[in-house]
Amino acid sequence: MNWFTNTLGSSIGKKLMMAITGLCFCGFLVVHLIGNLTLYGGKDFFSAYVEHLHSYGPLVTVAELGLLALAIIHVLTGLTLFFGNLGARPEGYKVNKNAGGRTIGSLTMPYTGILLLAFIVLHLIQLRFVNYDETMTVFQNVSNTLSQPAYVIIYIAAVIVAAIHVSHGFWSAFQTLGANHPKYMPLIQGVGIVFSLVVGIGFGLIPGYILSL
Amino acid sequence: MSETINLTLRVWRQKGPRTQGSLETYKAIDISTDMSFLEMLDVVNEELTVDGKEPIAFDHDCREGICGMCGVVVNGRSHGPEKGTTLCQLHMRHFSDGDTIFIEPWRSKAFPVIKDLAVDRGAFDTLIQAGGFVSVNAGGAQDANCLPVPQEDAEKAMDAAACIGCGACVASCPNASAMLFVGAKVSQLALLPQGKPEAAQRALSMVRTMDELGFGNCTNERECEAECPKEISISNIARLNREYFKAGLFSSVM
Amino acid sequence: MELDAKIPGGHLKDKWDRHRFELKLVNPANKRKFDIIVVGTGLAGGAAAASLAELGYNVKNFCIQDSPRRAHSIAAQGGINAAKNYTNEGDSIWRLFYDTIKGGDFRAREGNVYRLAQVSNNIIDQCVAQGVPFARDYGGLLANRSFGGSQVSRTFYARGQTGQQLLLGAYSSLSRQIAAKKVEMFTRREMLDVVIVDGQARGIVVRNLVTGELECHEAHAVVLATGGYGNVFFLSTNAMASNVTAAYRAYKRGALFANPCFTQIHPTCIPVHGTYQSKLTLMSESLRNDGRVWVPRDMGDKRQPHQIPESERDYYLERKYPSFGNLVPRDVASRNAKAQCDEGKGVGDTGLAVYLDFADAIKRDGKDVIEKKYGNLFQMYEKITAQDPYETPMMIYPAVHYTMGGLWVDYNLMSTVDGLFVMGEANFSDHGANRLGASALMQGLADGYFVIPYTIGGYIAGTSFPEITTDHPAFKDTAKEVRERTDKLLSIQGKRTVDDFHRELGLTMWDYCGMGRKDEGLEKAKKKIQELRGEFWENVLVPGNDKDFNQSLERAGRVADFLEFGELMVTDALARRESCGGHFNEAYQTEENEAQRDDENFCHVAAWEYTGDDKEPEFHKEPLDFENVELTQRSYK
Ligand SMILES: Cc1cc2nc3c(=O)[nH]c(=O)nc-3n(C[C@H](O)[C@H](O)[C@H](O)COP(=O)(O)OP(=O)(O)OC[C@H]3O[C@@H](n4cnc5c(N)ncnc54)[C@H](O)[C@@H]3O)c2cc1C
Ligand code: SF4
Ligand code: FES
Repeated sequence: MNWFTNTLGSSIGKKLMMAITGLCFCGFLVVHLIGNLTLYGGKDFFSAYVEHLHSYGPLVTVAELGLLALAIIHVLTGLTLFFGNLGARPEGYKVNKNAGGRTIGSLTMPYTGILLLAFIVLHLIQLRFVNYDETMTVFQNVSNTLSQPAYVIIYIAAVIVAAIHVSHGFWSAFQTLGANHPKYMPLIQGVGIVFSLVVGIGFGLIPGYILSL
Repeated sequence: MSETINLTLRVWRQKGPRTQGSLETYKAIDISTDMSFLEMLDVVNEELTVDGKEPIAFDHDCREGICGMCGVVVNGRSHGPEKGTTLCQLHMRHFSDGDTIFIEPWRSKAFPVIKDLAVDRGAFDTLIQAGGFVSVNAGGAQDANCLPVPQEDAEKAMDAAACIGCGACVASCPNASAMLFVGAKVSQLALLPQGKPEAAQRALSMVRTMDELGFGNCTNERECEAECPKEISISNIARLNREYFKAGLFSSVM
Repeated sequence: MELDAKIPGGHLKDKWDRHRFELKLVNPANKRKFDIIVVGTGLAGGAAAASLAELGYNVKNFCIQDSPRRAHSIAAQGGINAAKNYTNEGDSIWRLFYDTIKGGDFRAREGNVYRLAQVSNNIIDQCVAQGVPFARDYGGLLANRSFGGSQVSRTFYARGQTGQQLLLGAYSSLSRQIAAKKVEMFTRREMLDVVIVDGQARGIVVRNLVTGELECHEAHAVVLATGGYGNVFFLSTNAMASNVTAAYRAYKRGALFANPCFTQIHPTCIPVHGTYQSKLTLMSESLRNDGRVWVPRDMGDKRQPHQIPESERDYYLERKYPSFGNLVPRDVASRNAKAQCDEGKGVGDTGLAVYLDFADAIKRDGKDVIEKKYGNLFQMYEKITAQDPYETPMMIYPAVHYTMGGLWVDYNLMSTVDGLFVMGEANFSDHGANRLGASALMQGLADGYFVIPYTIGGYIAGTSFPEITTDHPAFKDTAKEVRERTDKLLSIQGKRTVDDFHRELGLTMWDYCGMGRKDEGLEKAKKKIQELRGEFWENVLVPGNDKDFNQSLERAGRVADFLEFGELMVTDALARRESCGGHFNEAYQTEENEAQRDDENFCHVAAWEYTGDDKEPEFHKEPLDFENVELTQRSYK
């Protein structure tokens, strides 16, 4: 297996891990968003969805552990790349200027990543690691949480950060995987932007909806 | 028509690899806008010399944008502000009277400063030695027209082969990564039938060497493509990635 | 001294085969016992270093630049010739041979040129195998274009970057040998002398340009591939570091210098536009395939080009040379441009330019086709001049470009010093008095890939070598002389900069030993150079010290040599009392102002021997015998 770790351990290999785990998270975001959209169907519809999800029992745990593993890989590899890159230019430039390649997304990747990590931890504490029972249903918890102005601000900020992260991450993952084709690359980049907008808007509107209830 | 302008230069001066450097200020007076950037530096150097000071060291040779020897960061931009232009082909007509110009050497751990604006790009040679070749000895080749190469592939290979090895991609990359340079060479040879037999070995060996030499990791910032004087496309980096995965995960090369 | 070119006997076609058979061989296992120094990493040096290492020799390779890939060969644009006849136009080895001999105005050796044409085809095969991305037709086969001095399309090209691609090919082979530890590469080193032990070239003294240290390197043979000396004119299309130092130092150690006055002035360069200018830029000759050269019919016509109607333009090359038209050889095209400007028909601010117009080609083939062929050249032109050649004709003027002269070598490429071989532009051998376009790349690679690997073996196998190390007194003495010279340069601390001297020398050479030469001018130049040299050694200002990366010191050494060498050029030009190719003495011209040769008295190579500083060099003659071609007045009508 030496060849395997050698391949993944190189700079490109690490990028591959970032790309694959990143794309998995994109997939997760889609599923999560679709699930959350059931909120718009009202309390009962949402609860039915939660019920349905929980009916998978251990599979959910497996999925969660899987997500945790992805997160660990994504975060640790990301940090390794970040610190490695700092070391690649020990003495910086006095004048820095962008030549037009970088975007806000790419420029802020490590920072948006760390912010997202912080948010996810908070998000999990608030919504995942809670003892749900009759007195505290998931729907109640969601609507309580999203009624606190402080959390709403954090939530919306996090959603924007996620959109920015994804705006670079999405096409970048394809580039890393080698899927750069003159015919399709513009499409991939377009999909990336649309995707980040959908994520931003889809998640971002939820607190508004909750407040309007 | 040409006119003349006056400029203030803030130039990085550093005596040697292990000494501290700093930005020094010089005046460039009566600079014709028809001059190239290097000719402007020549004028400043002539004046420094006559004044008994040491002229500014900078690398250059062909002065027509092909040898890849020149290159400094001008106001934060590698080879200056013009797209697809080496420093030696940058003309002073792109500057205005009264401008202050910051001039710094390429900055990267893999390219240590030798003196002032000259850096050691030997790492690029090491990269090519790691596999940027086809193993054919003189004398053994078959007739050149034996293997037809689709024109499109030949053109793409030529696009990649146009790299002059100047190092601007590394200098402008926020991560000081050499992926564009390596991608260009791997692509050129991967696109041509002559390069195929050693493609896997080449991709693995060049990437490993690149990592060892202290270049940073590519994070798809696209600054290299934007600054490359030969406008080498990052699709070559994508091809390098493909070649690398193919070699690392699916070939029998270790 | 008797100059023996060692041309093998037999029919022209069999000479090289026969020679290869007769050359002694070094046993494969023994090759690793021999060290070879190769100075230069251009097409000639790079190819030689790689090929010799492939054979098993231990090679030490040196270059001035920070990487072997940056040798001046990288700048060649247009292409490389070969007698493949892929275009079915009737090309052949014989035709390439004949064109080259005739293009050189019958001042090259038949044997060498024939060999060059013979191996030309192997070069293309070798380069393609290395992954050189030559241009191809839609069917995937190699494309060709035509070049000056020939009526067949035999030039292979990689856009306008042929030299770059060929050099990167050689560089990749070289890199492979460096990785295999068969070549030890020394970059940023300048050779400042050769070391001769018991009459054999056994090593060199180089300066490490970063640390300033002088290093001695020993070997069994020394190969110089250090390029041409066009920079003696200060302004030329050569790279800034191109120099005569290596060749000139060898000359001072006993190697003869042949035909130094044969310099090529290239017709299509961007005109000079300011006194601060540091170099001239070539616009590839391939442009003459599609561009039409013209000037206004009337003197002093200052209208913009598009305001001048067809009937008031003079397409003088097409008019004077109907069969070759814009594709006449370089010397002819250059002289005609000069003549037009001398008549007051020149265009542009300085009146020292002619038009090269693509309007008709764009109309005929479309902008896309033209862009595909010449895009990068047009772009380069626009960057420098801020004018768009798709819209307005280019302005061009001749500029110094190539030097046919060089160290004298025999058929084995060995100079008059045993074990000192010279290749590429640095030798004098194959182009006579004028080189055809796309033939320098061919010659450099022929020498490096396919000639020296055999001939050096013959030398090594037939020579006994005393054991020496760099502790030998010859090394010590040579290094001491080099150091003294460097110290001297630094100690003068005069008032004028190195570039200032160089510029003045260049102007003198251009005015008096350039496109048109006159006896009085040459005499004057000789005097001026002597005076300038005298002043240089009293009044040059070289800042910094020698233990450092000191670019002024590097240039000072080169200019010091140019200041001596320039005089040698003038001496040679004075001695050659005829006009031929790139040497045009105005006293010798036909009624149609073409170069008038004197085959009776000057059908020879003039080889000069150094006899001491400030002494006249001694003239030696190698007669040229033509058994296979008839000497004619060149005609491109
Ligand atoms: C702009 C331009 C375009 C051209 N286009 C064409 C073309 O289309 N077709 C064609 O056939 N020819 C062309 N030529 C001519 C051709 O490029 C050259 O003649 C040829 O490349 C010379 O190759 P070379 O190997 O002899 O020397 P070079 O490539 O000049 O290499 C010289 C080498 O020697 C080294 N060196 C020199 N002095 C020393 C020293 N003292 N110590 C250590 N190292 C030293 C240098 O570092 C360098 O590595 C062109 C020339 C120019 C200027
Ligand atoms: S890829 Fe572009 S920027 Fe990088 S070395 Fe090559 S030419 Fe220079
Ligand atoms: S000096 Fe050669 S590319 Fe600029």
